[in-house]
Amino acid sequence: MGKVIVVTSGKGGVGKTTSTANLGTALALLGKTVVVVDADVGLRNLDIVMGLESRIVYTSMDVIEKQCELSKALVRDRRVDGLMLLAASQKNNKDDIQPEQMKAICDKLRTAHDFVLVDSPAGIERGFSNASAGADEAIVVTTPDVSAIRDADRIIGLLQNARIEPINLVLNRFSPELVGNGSMMDQADVLDILNINLIGVVPEDSGVITSTNRGIPLVYEDGSPGAQAYMRIARRLTGQRIPIHDFEQKGLFSNILNWFTRKR
Amino acid sequence: MANSIVALRAYGDGLHLIIRPHLSIAEVEAAIQQEISRMNRSLAGTSVQIDLKSPTLKEEEIELLSSKLQETYDLTVRGVEVADEPIAPPIAAAPTTHIISQTTDTRPSRDSELSRIVPNTIRSGQTEEFPQGSLIIYGDVNSGGEVKAGGDIVVLGTLRGSAYAGMNGRLSAVIIAMDFAPLKLQIGNYVNRSSVNQQPRGYPEIARIGAEDVIIVEKFVKF
Ligand SMILES: Nc1ncnc2c1ncn2[C@@H]1O[C@H](COP(=O)(O)OP(=O)(O)O)[C@@H](O)[C@H]1O
Ligand SMILES: [Mg+2]
Repeated sequence: MGKVIVVTSGKGGVGKTTSTANLGTALALLGKTVVVVDADVGLRNLDIVMGLESRIVYTSMDVIEKQCELSKALVRDRRVDGLMLLAASQKNNKDDIQPEQMKAICDKLRTAHDFVLVDSPAGIERGFSNASAGADEAIVVTTPDVSAIRDADRIIGLLQNARIEPINLVLNRFSPELVGNGSMMDQADVLDILNINLIGVVPEDSGVITSTNRGIPLVYEDGSPGAQAYMRIARRLTGQRIPIHDFEQKGLFSNILNWFTRKR
Repeated sequence: MANSIVALRAYGDGLHLIIRPHLSIAEVEAAIQQEISRMNRSLAGTSVQIDLKSPTLKEEEIELLSSKLQETYDLTVRGVEVADEPIAPPIAAAPTTHIISQTTDTRPSRDSELSRIVPNTIRSGQTEEFPQGSLIIYGDVNSGGEVKAGGDIVVLGTLRGSAYAGMNGRLSAVIIAMDFAPLKLQIGNYVNRSSVNQQPRGYPEIARIGAEDVIIVEKFVKF
């Protein structure tokens, strides 16, 4: 029996879709079977980030309307074994789907796959309730700025009310240089406010944009700092006990390391 | 009543030294000494508000009294107020019980309020409201979160959101937080905007209505 994890944030543009694509791919690279589900009905883009948009025939809407079997709607990623996408309908909107219908889909996917990652739309309305309806766990993505953090805090409250746990935090677009010169909140400040378990820190990485444009998730190129961060999160999701930061790695995280040795 | 000329009372805004009608300054000093020695804890380092029940002390006498309080008891006088009431006859004839009931009973009191413990953080978009009394939060109140209480609010964490104490009009209500960085503070119908958005200072702070009818925030030492 697999796990259904909703990837959510409240605020748009903080990296939910990027995280879903990369974590889904990373988990598959680790040998897990994974379905990534786009719950952003009407504004889908997980298919583009995954580079699978040209192969979509059916969407979750077709499954709900019983136009096709769930298994037939899954698009297989040919680059890695065990990775599939369930696309969202682009011509419908969020109110065309009920939370119970999403839950039914997630429940079915959970029986045949290790991980089901649901890419949530921004907002706290219907799109969010649909995306979280079938979730066992949540990954909240935030960037280290006050408005994204406040929205993440809001979402965490809603997830707690829905008794979804654990809720793990991904801190995205983190820049040790900006923290160093005082223009970005550091990891400790963010955790002090949100007070949930941190599962990973993804650095600001220009490779994310090029990988999005090419439709090749970053984790296929294991040299990049963003790819390494996502691989570490994926390993932690599979239960491996590895530290958040790779302290062997010079440069990028040295500031964080300095911070730890200074304060602890 | 152990002492009919002076009385020390703790209100939400701190200690008050109430001085009732009297015959001489010497009598007042003796009464203060008696009242303070009656307390079985040290008052050193705290501050008092002097409430004159009638304007019987001259300005120089008040100054002298203030410096004596500082020297002898390490008590700082943070303000002097003359009660707005007709000059009463000297002590011999003063109906002290009447005056005492006036100083204690005109304010809705903390004693009659209930309190509620909230065992978690109040997050953005969440509101905790308790008009029946005081709220104690075992966590933070985050930006976008809101706590409202008929009585006091005590946050055993960081206050980053908004807090509204004394929502039924008890102006002695206070807001205490281990770390203070609120978006908005309100006590009764007084709203504070000046100390909002400050960085937490790393020590507990208390907000209350001060002498000039504005909400003041200062280091919290003891209640
Ligand atoms: N770690 C990162 N470094 C640089 N750019 C990033 C990073 N994460 C996300 N982005 C960029 O931010 C934008 C929004 O990301 P996206 O995943 O679509 O957010 P969401 O799904 O939350 O709206 C995209 O242009 C993406 O390329
Ligand atoms: Mg998205």
